[in-house]
Amino acid sequence: MVKKYTSMAYANADDMLFGNSKFPVKAGLGLEIGAGYTTPELNYAPRPQAGKSKDKLIKEYERITTDAMSRMVQIGSPSIVLETEHVEQMSNNPSWGAEVAHAQKTIMEEYHDEYGIKCALRHTIGDIREDRDFLQLRGDKYSVFLEAFEECAKAGADMLSVESMGGKEIFDYSILRNDTAGILFGIGVLGSMDMEMIWKDITAIAKKTGTVSAGDTDCAQANTAMFIAGGLLDKNLAHTTAIVARAISAARSLCAYEAGAIGPGKDCGYENTIVKAIAGVPISQEGKTSTCAHSDLMGNLVMQCCDLWSNESVEYHGEFGGTTVQCWSETLAYDCSMMNVALKIGKAKDLRDILVLSDKYRDPQGYVLAYDNAYKVGEAIAKDGNNNYLRAKNAAIECCNIVEEGINSGKLRLTRFEITALAKVKADLEALTDDADKFTSDNLTKFKQEVAVFRPENYGL
Amino acid sequence: MLDLKLEDIDGILVRYNVALEKEMTPDEAAEELYPKDELIYPIAKAIYEGEEDDVIDALKAAIDAGKKPIDLINDALMVGMGVVSQLYDEGIIFLPNVMMSADAMLNGIEFCKTQTTEIPENKGKIVCHVAEGDVHDIGKNIVVALLRAAGYEVIDLGRDVPVDEVIAAVIANKPIMLTGTALMTTTMYAFKEVNDKLLEKGMKIPFACGGGAVNQDFVSQYDLGVYGEEASDAAKIADAIIASGDDIEKLREEFHKH
Repeated sequence: MVKKYTSMAYANADDMLFGNSKFPVKAGLGLEIGAGYTTPELNYAPRPQAGKSKDKLIKEYERITTDAMSRMVQIGSPSIVLETEHVEQMSNNPSWGAEVAHAQKTIMEEYHDEYGIKCALRHTIGDIREDRDFLQLRGDKYSVFLEAFEECAKAGADMLSVESMGGKEIFDYSILRNDTAGILFGIGVLGSMDMEMIWKDITAIAKKTGTVSAGDTDCAQANTAMFIAGGLLDKNLAHTTAIVARAISAARSLCAYEAGAIGPGKDCGYENTIVKAIAGVPISQEGKTSTCAHSDLMGNLVMQCCDLWSNESVEYHGEFGGTTVQCWSETLAYDCSMMNVALKIGKAKDLRDILVLSDKYRDPQGYVLAYDNAYKVGEAIAKDGNNNYLRAKNAAIECCNIVEEGINSGKLRLTRFEITALAKVKADLEALTDDADKFTSDNLTKFKQEVAVFRPENYGL
Repeated sequence: MLDLKLEDIDGILVRYNVALEKEMTPDEAAEELYPKDELIYPIAKAIYEGEEDDVIDALKAAIDAGKKPIDLINDALMVGMGVVSQLYDEGIIFLPNVMMSADAMLNGIEFCKTQTTEIPENKGKIVCHVAEGDVHDIGKNIVVALLRAAGYEVIDLGRDVPVDEVIAAVIANKPIMLTGTALMTTTMYAFKEVNDKLLEKGMKIPFACGGGAVNQDFVSQYDLGVYGEEASDAAKIADAIIASGDDIEKLREEFHKH
């Protein structure tokens, strides 16, 4: 059994701030995350042709690492985290990932030794637990998956993460059909079950290798909802539905920390402010600086409580100002410098609130994730923290209540379509049982019939 | 925490979608578009509502009243789906409505097939796949649903499809178009290999590509590539091929917007 969170790490929402977490994490070469300052976290993707061979891939990451480290030194950034999100070749062939980690860490050590720059390397293993037709969360693929973590940790990665996929087959089907119970089942039940399994094992590897079991993100599901929802004028998914999926995802992403992870949570987990409120772990976030990878509607707001500030991902290539990793690491570093000044001169809460207010009323997603409301979602989760299903359902209902309050205040203006979608989701949620076993049993029966690629044995069911 | 006054918010941001929302509700807009035939109307309406059982009931009623099953595919099911597609294109309804309607329509087509020995016609064959090494398939699934909803026969190869399997499927099916989706930069490189092998075989068909990391610049690098920014572009590209031929330069002129 894993320890479940049934109370909040912070006594109130106003105590939450960027650059500060209840439980800072030491990692890599002199870095401490959430210990009173923020640090840029640069993420990048190799050019398409770099994946042709292991040697090409290693060379690409060496160029990326050298470029980024040199720019950080050139502009006087005191710290940097590099995050390498594995391309599939690096996780399916653990020795590839390990050699990349070793090459990157060697360069980072040289910069640390010469300049004293604090730095750490995060490797995010690809969730390769699939074959062509089905998720294959357990079995042979799982062994390779864990081997990739261990080899990278031994070779130089300081922090271990993944964007895990448990529940995605049900979520993908349900989100495109406005199936609220399916969204809840995919993220809150199946996703949580898988998270509990993998994070116990990843944490064991981290302990064995002296590395950091850092955390997960519900990128595969909640970000899929956010991306499908898109901008204000897109007509693919109600933004009120997307934020309900996000609220549920916090209950799921929390499972990593209950299984032993200590943070920093992954950048694309927009649910991380909720997670931080409950678990007190440091978090990475991305917003206006991740426009190179995708658009969102809360580019400033999401900086509110970050400990690492990320760009999500950018393809490595040249720009007028240098290579992309140089340009984006520089942008991140200047943002961190601004936050760190605010912390030093006692203006951090003002800056935090300015960031929040610039986006809070832009969209229901930002409204619910604003730290004051995110804290309320956290409380709804912790209230039934021992029950994965109930706490996910609580989060969803609280999310609906928060959006309704925003509408009633007149400040959060939504289309009739979004309001109607919200009412449907809330009615669906209120009609659901409180009995987790019955909910699981009913949805197992339903989705075994409706989703051909669903394999209950992936979840030990 | 600090807060904004209500009157200050409009100076910070504009909810253009609220300002521009149409007065007519989706149901009202659909009602205006349904065919008036009393046997066809309930089929089209059930398609719009995504109610699979109602579609079958309405089809049975129409067949009992003398309508030919094969005719109901084009005259009722596709017409109902046309209402849905039009409302989606006009921004009146959202994607999940289209997906549920497409499910209901396909279910209805399968039912009609069981009621006749005649073979229904479609607008053309299209082969769809997710790039080799890439298992992210929600985008492809949307593309497949929208193409089927638009009346095309789709050969869905699934995800993580080896390049040679894509080539073999194109040779075997002779589609009017191939689609490829990918989320990752490294997997989308497979599109270029597909392109090169198709050209080696002398098969010059439009290869519509899109998805996460895929962009117009990349797709423009290989001869057969046509970039689709949105999933719904796939059906529009296919329609353009049916209407004006498969000249890739012309398709690029229309669909490459950047």
